[in-house]
Amino acid sequence: MKRMLLILVLMLTLAAPVMAQPSADLSAIKIYLLETLAVLQEESGRLRAAAQAYYDLANEAGFDYETLWANRRAETTETLLKAKDAWMAASPLYEQVEGIVAGVPVLSEFDVILDAGASGADDPENGVPFDLNLPDGRVLERPGNLFGVLESTLWGTRADYSSGIWGDLNRNGGQDFGELLPDANVLLSAADSMNRYTTDLAAAANEWTPTVEDAFTALVVMVPTMSEYFGSWRDSRFVSGEASTQVDFVVISRLADIEDILGGLQVIYDNVSPLVEGVDAAQHAQIQQGLTGLREYVADLYSREQAGYRFTPEEADLFGSEAQERAQAITGQIAQIAALLNVSLPE
Amino acid sequence: MRAIGITVLLLSLLIASGVQAQANPVEVARAVQERLFDAQVALLRGDTAAAESAVTDARSLYAAGFEGTFTGNLRDIERRITAAFDRALAGTQAGDGVQLAAARGMIWTSLLDGSSRMVAAAVESNDASAAALWLPLRDFRVSTRFSRPGADATLAVKALQEGKMLPAAALEAVRADLLDTYQAQLTASLAAADEAHSNGFATRQAEETALAAGYFEILAPAYEQQRGAAALTDVRAAFAALAAVPGNRYEIARSQVDKRLAGFRAAPLSSDELARRAGQLSRFIALVPVEYARGVRGGVVTNDIEIQEALTFYEGAYAAFADVQPALADRDPQAAGRIAELLPQVVAQIRGVVEPGVLQGTVDEISGLLSGIIPPEWRSSTGSDIDVILSLLDQLEAAVAQHEYTLAESSRLDAYALLELGMEQRLRGFAPDLAARIESLFWEGTRENPGLASLLATRAPQETVSASMMALRAAFDDARLLLDSGRTAPGAVVGNAAVIVFREGLEAVLILASLLASLRTAEERRYRRPLVAGAVLALGATAVSWWLANNLLAALLPLGERLEAIVSLVAIGVLLLITNWFFHKVYWTGWMANFHARKRRLIGGVAVITLGQTTGLVLLGFTSIYREGFETVLFLQSLVLEAGSSVVLQGVALGLFGTAIVGLITFALQVRLPYKKMLIVTGVLIGVVLLTMVGNTVHIMQAVGWLPITPIPGVYFPHWMGQWFGTFATWQGIILQAVAGTFVIGSYFLAEHQSKRQRRQRVRPAAAGM
Repeated sequence: MKRMLLILVLMLTLAAPVMAQPSADLSAIKIYLLETLAVLQEESGRLRAAAQAYYDLANEAGFDYETLWANRRAETTETLLKAKDAWMAASPLYEQVEGIVAGVPVLSEFDVILDAGASGADDPENGVPFDLNLPDGRVLERPGNLFGVLESTLWGTRADYSSGIWGDLNRNGGQDFGELLPDANVLLSAADSMNRYTTDLAAAANEWTPTVEDAFTALVVMVPTMSEYFGSWRDSRFVSGEASTQVDFVVISRLADIEDILGGLQVIYDNVSPLVEGVDAAQHAQIQQGLTGLREYVADLYSREQAGYRFTPEEADLFGSEAQERAQAITGQIAQIAALLNVSLPE
Repeated sequence: MRAIGITVLLLSLLIASGVQAQANPVEVARAVQERLFDAQVALLRGDTAAAESAVTDARSLYAAGFEGTFTGNLRDIERRITAAFDRALAGTQAGDGVQLAAARGMIWTSLLDGSSRMVAAAVESNDASAAALWLPLRDFRVSTRFSRPGADATLAVKALQEGKMLPAAALEAVRADLLDTYQAQLTASLAAADEAHSNGFATRQAEETALAAGYFEILAPAYEQQRGAAALTDVRAAFAALAAVPGNRYEIARSQVDKRLAGFRAAPLSSDELARRAGQLSRFIALVPVEYARGVRGGVVTNDIEIQEALTFYEGAYAAFADVQPALADRDPQAAGRIAELLPQVVAQIRGVVEPGVLQGTVDEISGLLSGIIPPEWRSSTGSDIDVILSLLDQLEAAVAQHEYTLAESSRLDAYALLELGMEQRLRGFAPDLAARIESLFWEGTRENPGLASLLATRAPQETVSASMMALRAAFDDARLLLDSGRTAPGAVVGNAAVIVFREGLEAVLILASLLASLRTAEERRYRRPLVAGAVLALGATAVSWWLANNLLAALLPLGERLEAIVSLVAIGVLLLITNWFFHKVYWTGWMANFHARKRRLIGGVAVITLGQTTGLVLLGFTSIYREGFETVLFLQSLVLEAGSSVVLQGVALGLFGTAIVGLITFALQVRLPYKKMLIVTGVLIGVVLLTMVGNTVHIMQAVGWLPITPIPGVYFPHWMGQWFGTFATWQGIILQAVAGTFVIGSYFLAEHQSKRQRRQRVRPAAAGM
């Protein structure tokens, strides 16, 4: 018996390392995603409710916005400020998880729908896949991502989503940016779609089991998108002022978005970092330092902007190019580690 | 805070240089770049003093980190960097951000050039550690939503480190990766310079043109080799002019650079990549007239989207041709030249809305030329099949987005036809479950993922189609991985290697223990030492054999999968011998008796040990152990080809560890282990290894086309069975595994039968004598 036991021990000694496969506990990524999406759902629900209230008011006024503003000024102001407030709360929440949503293949379609997709007219192949069916029977075919549609509707940067009637929401007696009353049909339909897709996203995220491939793909896809974000910051009214023709990213500086996105990506990296460290501790230190440094770099620019400094477009371009260089270096290193770990990155 | 960081880095560099340690090149280079960027930001603020201080810091960092590095044939790097720092300082002092930006671009690309050359030299001289130290100081291709940075150089250096690749092959891979990257960076910098120019951003324009010129310098040797020294001088002058011209002449200077770079490709494509692009070329060009004919009637465009698809396929074909043109021209310059003339005619005919038959005629001529010029080994490329299928599926999705369901259906059928004609047979052979999944997603699908045919027939909304498309793309990703690699799981390789080493080690221990145990008396004990010396020598000889076999394999690596198939056959032969010998107790006892007979002859009746006896006993110890070592080395080569030395050596270490434990128990503790049972258990394990090896060998022979693939209808094995046991649902694999299994079991029964017969024969005379 003892001899058989000895044989068994010998065999197990041989077999144990054979079974070991590289893996990482990625549950924290999913927890972070689900917790953030839960708050996002609340905010999109708040936005949907405000849009419905505004639609009801407009409906009562027969969609005559002059009458609406003349007769129901206080309620109209309140509902629109609530809607804007909910959008302002929802947008950063989404940015905090955009790195995961856009970078994970099974979730990335939601990023196109919610935050990244162009309109069908601008990008027939890769634009958003949905149409907005308005309550009055009109159809906005593939209008672009929902955060963008809602932003341009609420702040009046697109004439076709606006009533064309000014409402003095801040009661200063003037016509300020963001004071055009929205088209209630567009606002309700977009807010409703936003609420629905956010719920679908939360459900899809709940179904999703994070894999090492997902985590590395998200990092390699999303870290090097700095130039896109800095490009839209450069062209936004935060940098270009009144010369800007951009209809979205007009309310929250893209710098804040970038900082939030990088925060989400850091969550992902922290979860795969034991694997990276196992392959190459020096590379791990460089990647970690690179991601932290990049976020600090953006945070520094944002705090300067918040403090009142207006960057020129050329400065914005220079800072964007530097951020992109740093991001590409980090991405390259991550991709090398993925290859050494035999992690495939789907293209 | 940053000043403290710089000081710390400087101090550590100074300490490192004092103790002759090698500073980390990429960290130093990035610190230099960041400090130069600080100088740029300071200049933007108008703070010249801070800018000057930052440039001085950057120069000190460079000096401390790279002092004495760029010497000999790298002296030009040192000269360029020194000149650039001088320019940076002068620019800073003059408050000229444009000069500083240009200098920064020059410094960075010169560092990259220096690093590339250091890596190449290190790889060439088989110094993998130096290559690994310098390689991270590099740029990477821009990662987009559709492409990822390559890691070929990193993997090649790792393979070199592990002895899985020869320096020449590693150098080729490293050069291809770096040249490809820097060519892409050159293109990206020129595009960024154009954008900066159109926006009127002079500083960025200066930095990007300097970067472009610097990237070109890295590619310059390839350019000179392809186009000659005069052309190189000419293109360098064009880059210098681009950097120097004032804004209003930028376009002219820029077009001069483009003209000289036209058709230049620095990195030669690998043969796999050539096959993939050639496959794309053939398939894309054939699809052009198909799409075109659906969109034109009577000289009038009836469907814009079909024409757009035809143009998309044309662009794909044209891009693929640009990549393979030099290789095709080497094979047949006239045919390649004619294709180059015909391709622009295709696009002109599409734009001219010619009759479909005319376009078909042009494409037929191109296809005819291609079939004569493309070598057979390029014609079957799974990678290009999947590329084209995915491209057709993109068209399908775009059509659905525009509610063009009929068009989407035709894209689906095109994609499915390509699947049927090309890769499906292989996929059915190797992964029938995956093939069935793909097939299902093309047609009816499942409840979770309805198939495309059903979805398009019911005009399903795009979200639903997209969900199924996502599942289909994921399935194709799996198929690409499976068909491109088809590797055995590393754990299985480690296990197989460990089993073999342990088993052979066990035999060696038993033989040695048996021989030593028979030398019991005080007189006989003196014979033990030469016997043990022979065994130790055998271990050394086994290590030498491993080294020789590895080098031989490395030299034969260009044979690729064919080498793997050949070596696998040899390994199977070895395994069959081992299992046969093992079960034949007759053989085993005979073999042991032979050793003992030799031993008796050597020591019989001699009181003093002679030189001849010593030599004989050393040889006896040597041959008894080396035979096991040699068998092991032979067998393990097949696994080395499959998974590399490092994985196999893990298994070897495990096997040796097990053997060492047995040896310790046997020799040091003098405990008798249940050797017979252990031999039986390891024998059974070896039988399993044999079956796995047969399955994998059939698989690889099917992959290289030496054996046909005949799927077993209705039989599906999970993927892990292929990875761990080499079991795939093809008749060839299953039958040959069954034959091997029958051989092993039959061998056992034959041995048993022989043993019984011998026992009977021994009993009969005894009975007769009674």
